[in-house]
Amino acid sequence: MATVTFAQATRIYPKSERPAVDALDLHIGDGEFLVLVGPSGCGKSTSLRMLAGLEEVDSGAVLIGDRDVTDLPPKGRDIAMVFQNYALYPHMTVEANMGFALKLAGLGRAEISRRVGEAAQILDLGDYLHRRPKALSGGQRQRVAMGRAIVRDPQVFLMDEPLSNLDAKLRVQTRTQIARLVQRLGTTTVYVTHDQVEAMTLGDRVAVLRDGVLQQCEAPGVLYDRPANVFVAGFIGSPAMNVVTGPAVDGGVRLGGAVLPVPRDQLARAAAGTGRVTVGFRPEDVRLVGPGAGVPVVVNVVEQLGADAFLYTKLAAEHTDDVLHPSDVVVRTEPRSAPGQGDELSLAVPEGRLHVFDPTTQRRVD
Amino acid sequence: MTIASDEPQVASIAAPSAPPGPARRPSRLTRNRWGYAYVAPFFVLFACFSLYPFLYTAWISLHDVDLGDVDGAQWVGLANYGELLTSEFFWNAARNTLTIGVLSTVPQLAMALGLAHLLNYSLRGRTFFRVAMLLPYATSIAAATLVFGQLFGRDYGLINAGLEAVGFDRVDWEGGTWSSQLAISVIVIWRWTGYNALIYLAAMQAIPEDLYEAATLDGASRWKQFLHVTIPGLRPTILFTIVVSTIGAVQLFGEPLLFSGNGTTNGGSSNQYQTLGLLMYDQGWTNFHLGQAAATAWAMFLIILVVVGAWALLARRRARAER
Ligand SMILES: Nc1ncnc2c1ncn2[C@@H]1O[C@H](COP(=O)(O)OP(=O)(O)OP(=O)(O)O)[C@@H](O)[C@H]1O
Ligand SMILES: [Mg+2]
Repeated sequence: MATVTFAQATRIYPKSERPAVDALDLHIGDGEFLVLVGPSGCGKSTSLRMLAGLEEVDSGAVLIGDRDVTDLPPKGRDIAMVFQNYALYPHMTVEANMGFALKLAGLGRAEISRRVGEAAQILDLGDYLHRRPKALSGGQRQRVAMGRAIVRDPQVFLMDEPLSNLDAKLRVQTRTQIARLVQRLGTTTVYVTHDQVEAMTLGDRVAVLRDGVLQQCEAPGVLYDRPANVFVAGFIGSPAMNVVTGPAVDGGVRLGGAVLPVPRDQLARAAAGTGRVTVGFRPEDVRLVGPGAGVPVVVNVVEQLGADAFLYTKLAAEHTDDVLHPSDVVVRTEPRSAPGQGDELSLAVPEGRLHVFDPTTQRRVD
Repeated sequence: MTIASDEPQVASIAAPSAPPGPARRPSRLTRNRWGYAYVAPFFVLFACFSLYPFLYTAWISLHDVDLGDVDGAQWVGLANYGELLTSEFFWNAARNTLTIGVLSTVPQLAMALGLAHLLNYSLRGRTFFRVAMLLPYATSIAAATLVFGQLFGRDYGLINAGLEAVGFDRVDWEGGTWSSQLAISVIVIWRWTGYNALIYLAAMQAIPEDLYEAATLDGASRWKQFLHVTIPGLRPTILFTIVVSTIGAVQLFGEPLLFSGNGTTNGGSSNQYQTLGLLMYDQGWTNFHLGQAAATAWAMFLIILVVVGAWALLARRRARAER
């Protein structure tokens, strides 16, 4: 078991000017489960592959434990990886697939079969040991890929979207299995996903990447409650946080003819450059208030999800001129008493539930 | 025109109640009429140029036929085959074909595999190497063999000059049994290695990259990756190239013919490199015994059938054992 450290690690693919991973600084504790999330193409896989040794590190360093592995071939790093398409050897049985690394490491036959047997039992693969990957279902293949990683008992597990080829239900089921498994083994794990639900449920900490740059790395709760910038605020949470920019006025930000109160010093710092303030608020934090007491909106669409209903509303037309990029404001309500389409509502956000950002730097202002 | 062509449709709409009796359903043959029509040209050509000569050869092989008088054929039953089996020329040619076949096919496929593996790794100049590898294949055998004839020449050949330079004796390449067969194998290897390498390369590129990455992380060296990822992934392709080269080896004709340098078909003064192909030509067109030649042709066909059948059986057994 070991810690993992990225120190200003950068990867620039040949023939591209922009780094795929740009000066990544990240320290992962011993036994920690770290999730890398971000939109497609943000450099998650590249970061993981740099750690695995499958991708060169152009500048900076990667450390496993205290050992600098930047120039070490993958073989010497003592890591195991679960690939998105599992990459099982098609001509080998499940048993041989799981035991391959051990065989190459020169372990005895008895030891190999003991360890493979143990892993197979944990993953409930006992009945399939003599089958080939071709004759397995997607979920079973996924478990074999996991098994191949755990028999190695490596310092670090790397997983690149290991659940993305499973159907929705199996994904949820396997997600809990992975969580339990990794908890039990206590192995340091770096897990890549673009699914934020996976990220929030699995990770001890979650690192959000965008265009190769680390945006924030925090525990899921902190990430949700205190996003460091507008991007993280919009990326984490579903439906996304409402983010709007409006002129700073005395006591708050003017939105659709009403004023959302913002604490004075926060307002002053956020509006310092432009006279405008970007504020964000989550759909579940919005309160419906009496007419005239809040931001006036019109309900466009009502989405009934059973436990919740989401209202997609627009700022009332005559008041949008002072708001930058007016978009839908999403509001969560009780499904049974949800307003109907076309209803006019008045919205308020309780104190302390408003996230304030500087419109120029997009950074959080506290 | 449009009005006229509309009419039957109108009629059929107006009278939709015609029962779909069995008599109205087109039979399978007529339903597939166009399908058969489309594939017919192939079968006509196949019948003319493959099936007919094939059967005619079989027919001829049962007769005593002189090249000058094909109509005066005498029915002799299996006598031509009997004669073949007792002919020392046949066994000599069969032996030569086998040794040249092994000497050329095995190194050729092994080298092709190695070459493809190297090319699969190094990306730079790949197109150049691809073209370079196809060049020998695109060269006419006659030209190539002439050049090789010069190289392997006894008195002025480059190879002997080289051997002498490093202190060995000259070798009479054409005169000896092993040396001549080796020389012919070299020509065959030169010609076909690149071709097979390209086939392997294409198959290698179909092997997913992440298998190699997984193997790397599992601690496999390049060589182990070759053994445990590449070779298993290429197995059907390897079988295919073995079958094709086997057929080529049994039918080997041009290289030994031209290697002799004087256009004779006896394959050297003591038939030391006469292959079955040369023997057949010798029988038919030098000695005018068409029946004999046809029997040899059929014997070659049967040999190919047996060898390829054995390979196929072996492959099937392996595949089943793996399931
Ligand atoms: N082999 C490569 N050569 C050049 N550019 C590459 C290569 N692989 C990835 N890139 C680029 O690097 C960036 C990051 O790619 P990466 O695969 O890490 O994204 P990702 O975050 O894993 O995305 P996804 O969620 O779609 O898998 C992308 O812009 C991509 O186009
Ligand atoms: Mg990826």
